[in-house]
Amino acid sequence: MKQIRKYLSGASALALLMATAAAHGAPPAGRLLASQCAQCHGTNGQAVSGMEKLAGESEGEIYKELIEMKARIKPDEIMHRQAAGYTDAQIRLIARYFATSGKVSTTTSTTPTTGTASRNKSRGDD
Amino acid sequence: MFSHNRRKLLQASGALAAAGSVPLLARAQVAAPRVVVIGGGFAGATLAKYVRMWNPKIQVTLIEPNPSHVSCILSNLVMTGALGMNAITLRYDTLRSKYGVSLVADRAVGIDAVNRIVTTQNGSRIPYDKLVLAPGIDFDAVPGLDTAVLPHAWQAGPQTLALKGQLDAVPAGGTFVMSIPPAPYRCPPGPYERACLLADSLLRRRRAGRVIVLDANNDVVAEPHTFHTAFRTTYASVIEYRPNSVVSSVDWANKTIHTNWGPIRADGANIIPPQKAGKLVVAAGLLGTNPATRWAPVNPLSYESTVVPHIHVIGDSQGTGQPKSGHMANSQAKVCADALIRYFAGEAPDPAPMTSSACYSPITSKTASWLTVVFGYDAATGLMKPVPNTLAEAPAPSGDHYEDMFGWANNLFADSFS
Repeated sequence: MKQIRKYLSGASALALLMATAAAHGAPPAGRLLASQCAQCHGTNGQAVSGMEKLAGESEGEIYKELIEMKARIKPDEIMHRQAAGYTDAQIRLIARYFATSGKVSTTTSTTPTTGTASRNKSRGDD
Repeated sequence: MFSHNRRKLLQASGALAAAGSVPLLARAQVAAPRVVVIGGGFAGATLAKYVRMWNPKIQVTLIEPNPSHVSCILSNLVMTGALGMNAITLRYDTLRSKYGVSLVADRAVGIDAVNRIVTTQNGSRIPYDKLVLAPGIDFDAVPGLDTAVLPHAWQAGPQTLALKGQLDAVPAGGTFVMSIPPAPYRCPPGPYERACLLADSLLRRRRAGRVIVLDANNDVVAEPHTFHTAFRTTYASVIEYRPNSVVSSVDWANKTIHTNWGPIRADGANIIPPQKAGKLVVAAGLLGTNPATRWAPVNPLSYESTVVPHIHVIGDSQGTGQPKSGHMANSQAKVCADALIRYFAGEAPDPAPMTSSACYSPITSKTASWLTVVFGYDAATGLMKPVPNTLAEAPAPSGDHYEDMFGWANNLFADSFS
């Protein structure tokens, strides 16, 4: 997968990949899993208010944060419980999806944003 | 729009797909696949949006008589006067303008599952390749209960304001009775949240008498720590919690609620009746032959009915045992949308779907709690099961959670309706 991603680094290449996938109907890996974050973090990770925006964050950032959350669950953090629901492999897919779809969504997003998140919620370590 | 040839082709391609061999690509070149959705709550709106967003080649028609959905989420804050109706009124315009969902402002009244046609009150016949039912809940009749007089307000809208009227009319020192139906019902923490806000509202207006909570269940169904604490401390002077209490009938001419423990006189009341799948689910025969079945059995990989093929049921009416809530309805809608897209491409559903629930409940006018759980598909049993360590309630209500509640609700509203 890493090899493929190197070759498909540009947004146009990614769009081509997604268009090809769409023609055959195969959903991109991680899309359904990542969509489960959208109830709180916005469609395609574009939060409308009050919650952390995920679109455009790096794969490493999202992955590390979620892995840390589930490794050390704090009782007062709702997000730690959510993180605990997913395997490391699922978290990798989610992180990768947001990292790549975020790049595409800067030009093709259909979701309005009304400013950046006011607070950074549920960080893994603080 | 619907032709015999087309139908034959559909049947043929359907048979091929059922055989699990040939994709529907040949059919897709003839005409766009048609998904029809009935009901524009959190489940139906999310399904319509996500199918179109993920694959604009699929036609999606949403049949819903109302121009907007009024959210149950946050509606108890309309009851107290903290929010106006506009804060919980979610229009369908964006589903059409941004995602190209066809809106049919009509009520679906019949389903011909053999020929795959939905009929509406105004006489339209709307053909489908896949039908998604998201009609929410229906109620059992409670003897003597006239909901035009005593609103349950368990579907938000005019009844929400009518309940506010009930609350506002309670005389100082009066008794307000509310009842909680047996689980499962829509929004597990919802009735307890309502009890807290009724008490809070009466206390703040210095009119507190008693709020008697009649729970048909043997204990608090959701967030037991949070609500037992609230009932025993914050609202100890107001709320009287009575488990195993079932309303048998209502005699509101005499302001009396009859229960299995005897009659109770009340100045105001909110009777929330026992619940079951929406009428259309029952009419379409999706509950099967066992008369005790109250919710539609579905395959949790696709939410397709296990009784009638090509009809999917999402949200409160489905019977997978996952909690009935707007957040969960949104969650299931995405699994269903993904499965429909794969179906039209001749593929099997995702074999390991995840769903999640998160919700915030106001406990006072300034604090809220939360409840969360993540579900994963268990291939051994074919059920959605809570993932260990994910079911939890907030350790204590707080002002921070109250603030987060609006971030959660606003994002959930936007993810479902815009």
